[in-house]
Amino acid sequence: MVNFARLGQVPAILLMLAFIAKRLLYGLVVVFGVTVAVFFIFHVLPGNPEDSLGDRPNREEERERLRVAYHLDQPLPVQLALYLNDLSLLSVHDNTPANAQKYAYQPVFGWGSKVLVFKAPYLGRSFRTNVDVRQTIANDLLGTFCLAVSAMILATLLGVSWGLLAALNQGRFWDHTALTLSVVGISAPAFITAIFIQVLLGYYLGEWTRLPLQGSLFERDISGVLQVHPERLVLPALTLAIRPLAIVTQITRNSMIDVLAQDFIRTARAKGSPRRSIILRHALKNAINPVLTTITGWLASLMAGAFFVEYVFSYHGLGYDTIVAVRAQDFPFVMGATITVAVFFVAINLVVDVLYAWIDPRVQLQ
Amino acid sequence: MPNERADHLLEVNNLTIEFGSQRSANGPSKPVVAVDQVSFKISKGETLGVVGESGSGKSITALSLLGLVPAPGRVASGEILYNSPMLGEVDLLQLTENELRVLRGGEIAIIFQDPMTSLNPVFTCGEQLVEALQLHNPRMTSGDAKKRALELLSKVKLPRPEQILNTYPHALSGGQKQRVMIAMALSCNPSLLIADEPTTALDVTVQHCIIQLLQELREEIDTAILFISHDLGIIAEVADRVLVMYNGKIVEQGPVWDLFANPQHPYTKGLLACRPRLDVKLKVLPTVSDFMDADAGGEVIEIVGNKFRSVGEAITKNYQTSAEVKARYEKLIAQTPIVTVRDLHVHFPLGHNFFGRPKGIVKAVDGVTFDIYPGETLGLVGESGCGKSTLGRALLQLAHPTAGSIIFHDYDLCKVSTQQMRRFRRDIQIIFQDPYSSLNPRMTIGEAIVEPMRFHQIGHNERERRDMAMQLLETVNLSQVHFSRYPHEFSGGQRQRICIARTLALQPKFIVCDESVSALDVSVQAQVLNLLNRLKEKYQLTYVFISHDLSVVKFLADRILVMQNGQIIESGAAEDIYENPVHEYTRTLIRSIPKGSMEDIRRAMLRRKKLQPPRRKALVGG
Repeated sequence: MVNFARLGQVPAILLMLAFIAKRLLYGLVVVFGVTVAVFFIFHVLPGNPEDSLGDRPNREEERERLRVAYHLDQPLPVQLALYLNDLSLLSVHDNTPANAQKYAYQPVFGWGSKVLVFKAPYLGRSFRTNVDVRQTIANDLLGTFCLAVSAMILATLLGVSWGLLAALNQGRFWDHTALTLSVVGISAPAFITAIFIQVLLGYYLGEWTRLPLQGSLFERDISGVLQVHPERLVLPALTLAIRPLAIVTQITRNSMIDVLAQDFIRTARAKGSPRRSIILRHALKNAINPVLTTITGWLASLMAGAFFVEYVFSYHGLGYDTIVAVRAQDFPFVMGATITVAVFFVAINLVVDVLYAWIDPRVQLQ
Repeated sequence: MPNERADHLLEVNNLTIEFGSQRSANGPSKPVVAVDQVSFKISKGETLGVVGESGSGKSITALSLLGLVPAPGRVASGEILYNSPMLGEVDLLQLTENELRVLRGGEIAIIFQDPMTSLNPVFTCGEQLVEALQLHNPRMTSGDAKKRALELLSKVKLPRPEQILNTYPHALSGGQKQRVMIAMALSCNPSLLIADEPTTALDVTVQHCIIQLLQELREEIDTAILFISHDLGIIAEVADRVLVMYNGKIVEQGPVWDLFANPQHPYTKGLLACRPRLDVKLKVLPTVSDFMDADAGGEVIEIVGNKFRSVGEAITKNYQTSAEVKARYEKLIAQTPIVTVRDLHVHFPLGHNFFGRPKGIVKAVDGVTFDIYPGETLGLVGESGCGKSTLGRALLQLAHPTAGSIIFHDYDLCKVSTQQMRRFRRDIQIIFQDPYSSLNPRMTIGEAIVEPMRFHQIGHNERERRDMAMQLLETVNLSQVHFSRYPHEFSGGQRQRICIARTLALQPKFIVCDESVSALDVSVQAQVLNLLNRLKEKYQLTYVFISHDLSVVKFLADRILVMQNGQIIESGAAEDIYENPVHEYTRTLIRSIPKGSMEDIRRAMLRRKKLQPPRRKALVGG
């Protein structure tokens, strides 16, 4: 009865907005934590960013230039503060034309040589390619996004249907088959399945499937026009989908079996509801929450980079470029990629929580 | 009676329901017979009460009428002839799933035991009602269905029906949910309404309202009711005729008056005798086993020449006179209290805001003051949510008091250190409600009893502790051979006795019994209550007995505290509270208890006769 009164007073939409605002604030804390942690981890790792220069001519000069440009000559805490200042939407900079061009900022308030500005987060330029990290990440994200989303759509459609099939035939042939296959799917390591699928479908059966062994979804041709190659998406998406597919199948199955044993299912039967309505309306809507958690959790982590799969299939996405960057000790890119991934995690989790409340009225947004 | 057949709505003949197969060590597997050759009839407009304890097969029988026997159960043989207004006379067991679906919820509706779990949490009450309506009236528009749903909700006397239409079940109280269930069951004017323990999960005052509602609706819509309950008191109030089921068989059936006035079967006699009574205080509760015994094959054997020859004798031979009760009470309160509770508060925060401050406070226990005297049983009664369990836990420091003091042996338990409290735990013990979840399934019974002894260094060595545990098992009427068995091998009543043995292992002075018999069947409950009384005398224990069941408390307690909204609203000697309740709430509580006395049955029958159409007068008889 308490709920009655309280819901009556505050409109649901306001509760929802307050919840979103609060979660965004928490999200900011998470992203900050990740940034600081990765910053220090990167610096305790052996090796030196300057080594990424390799054996370029006038190496010493380049080194010196990098040191100054990236403040590598400063103590770590100062470097961190400067990095965070670059990252922040509101930041303080020397008011010089060079800075104005570098950060593309909107001055808010100036004093002396300093100015408080409003700007987009600045992630620096890659040590390796000297391209603005934001630009590379933006290019990568589209490829990774297409890959992750198509893998998850595949995993969800197949996983939920197989899970339903298994739950409705509990203890019988289809149930055992689905369970056995999903155990295989969960336990097979990604690098094995990636190579297996690549060799089997792309090479031995390549004549028949006509699918390429490697390549990116988006590629600029010689004239600089962006080309889309949808056929290059198939094998990596299939490989990526295997493990989430196995897990979604199991979660759907278990959740459905739980829900089908509940009292309200018996009520629905006693009402005279047809079987189809009992399964799809009464049961599935109740069983879907854990499935949703799994799906979105996987989507987030696939966005974080399907490192192996992208690497094996030479699919240029966030994962591929991050591996290259880590090997090259390309600090700005690694930091930028990590922060992007953290932001994705926060955003997807927020969407999931709102979805929960929408599906299950018992979930209270707090 | 002329034209008897046409008057029958339902006729069940030799119904047998089996469950899976019990694996035996050698030889072919044998299915468990849950319902064994059951035959009964229900006439139009009649209310048939079915009484039995858990496992008697009463719910399964009801579910079989709708073809809803859960797997691995199956109807092995028999017929269920149903006189359908739509299909004519049919055997429900021969119908196809689609034909059955037309009857389910349409002509035969059911109300389940637990309203908390029986409504789908992700649809509003309105959506669920409209679904039921549209399933059986395909031509009904959504607008009409909504209008009808609104009507139904006001018919079951829900306040603000428009609002409830758009409310999800979790926002309603248990009683309100059960009203929605009833509205749903009545939505298509069923000819037969099955009510499977519809009030068991509800508080006694709510139960009273629901029973009244069902009575009124019955007159209004002229439906036959199959009313299943374990509580003879409720059956006495609602039923025209009664079936008594035991171990899958019907052991006795007849008009309600005859059955209560002159029970024939020993099991019925036992059931009637073992209910704690409100009128007189008994020394020992009669139990079913005083009247009957079962042989290895499950056949009932009446005990001849037993302690009590009849229900009446069972009562007249062992009640306590009011002088005895009074003398005992005065002797008790002349002592110095063993526990003194002063102005105790237990508050719980209600969610936290961003800075970790509580948004609101639930005052579970809100300033209570009382004493507990050595050797007494203090009854603590109230409805769910009144704070009685929290108070019980606070006495053991399992819930942490916000303010106030609990003085035990000159120490304030609210202020002592954790180490000191650990020492006191030996003296203050608790027996929980659910004997199924309060024993660790991976620990043998012996281990469960010995473990706390080891911890509190009772007994000099393992051997001595083992012997003590064996003795305790015998004290609670179990056997030494049970020592190395696991909990799943025992029934609910046995487990609760194991829990009692574990509690006694520490030789406590003071035991809190938190709804300790609520999960048990009434015949088992009587045994456990007798055991508790016997142990109290033997070990000079002091009990705080927490229960929602006033008749149980009345039997056991010397003094009673009545709680409402975290406060004690009335306290005093048990007899006084029942005879002269002062507070209005106490009066309501006592009035709501279904008593099942002959006087009540007669009154209920007269009331029904007055309201009923003449056709049914013959059924009630007299």
